[in-house]
Amino acid sequence: MMVALLIIHALMAVTLLGAITHQTISVWLPMRKTAGSFVGRMRSVPAGSYVNAIIVLYLITAILGGIIYPEYRLSIRVVLQQLRLNVPNGLFELKEHFVAVGLGMLPAYWYFWRQPLANDYARTRAVLTAILAFIVWWSFLVGHILNNIRGFEV
Amino acid sequence: MNTSRSFPVFAVVFAVVWAVTYVIAVQKNYALFTYHPALEEFGLLVEKPKEGPAMYWYGWLATAGIAALAAGLIACFVPERVTQRLWSGWSWTIPLGVMLVFGYLLKGYFLR
Repeated sequence: MMVALLIIHALMAVTLLGAITHQTISVWLPMRKTAGSFVGRMRSVPAGSYVNAIIVLYLITAILGGIIYPEYRLSIRVVLQQLRLNVPNGLFELKEHFVAVGLGMLPAYWYFWRQPLANDYARTRAVLTAILAFIVWWSFLVGHILNNIRGFEV
Repeated sequence: MNTSRSFPVFAVVFAVVWAVTYVIAVQKNYALFTYHPALEEFGLLVEKPKEGPAMYWYGWLATAGIAALAAGLIACFVPERVTQRLWSGWSWTIPLGVMLVFGYLLKGYFLR
């Protein structure tokens, strides 16, 4: 059961990563003209269309992470401490706090992306998106590293 | 209270109070409840570990959530002439600052 939840958590995280990366690139490196290349098409996606999906995916991924977190505390964190793997342990501690901070930013993120987009909030919108993208990337990479160290212990 | 005018105030105050309350809750351990994963038991407020570790993260989230919700709702009733000066950037500067604070607080993991 835990392995299934871990896989679903990872799949949700991948989907979230894709959505928020597209949105962040299109906000910070927008492309006005019709794009032909792969990167150009990434830059020209309609950023606002990702907002609701990102919020739902963030919440689902965080809830699934919260459900499998006790297993991490019981089976994995202890081993990391015994092996004196302080850096991965610290990376995960940061992950849990960053995700928590990100949860509090979601109402503002939703509001400032509300249509029609207000020009007054362009910077706030862009920075909120970038911070959430950083949190998602950090969480994904740390989760991946820890999974490589001690994942799928069945 | 006009809902459409109040929501940006709520959202900004919520983000700020959530981040600040969360870092204080972590630092001072103001968890609203404790979870004992080995026993699969919840306990009200902060409890010492019983068998295996005690988890406070859920309790810290609950503390931050209630404080942020209360502060956000109260802010909605503040007169508009006061709230219209509220800078939208607080919704990201304070959370970003709190993330940096966590980096500082947890530096021991990376420097030993």
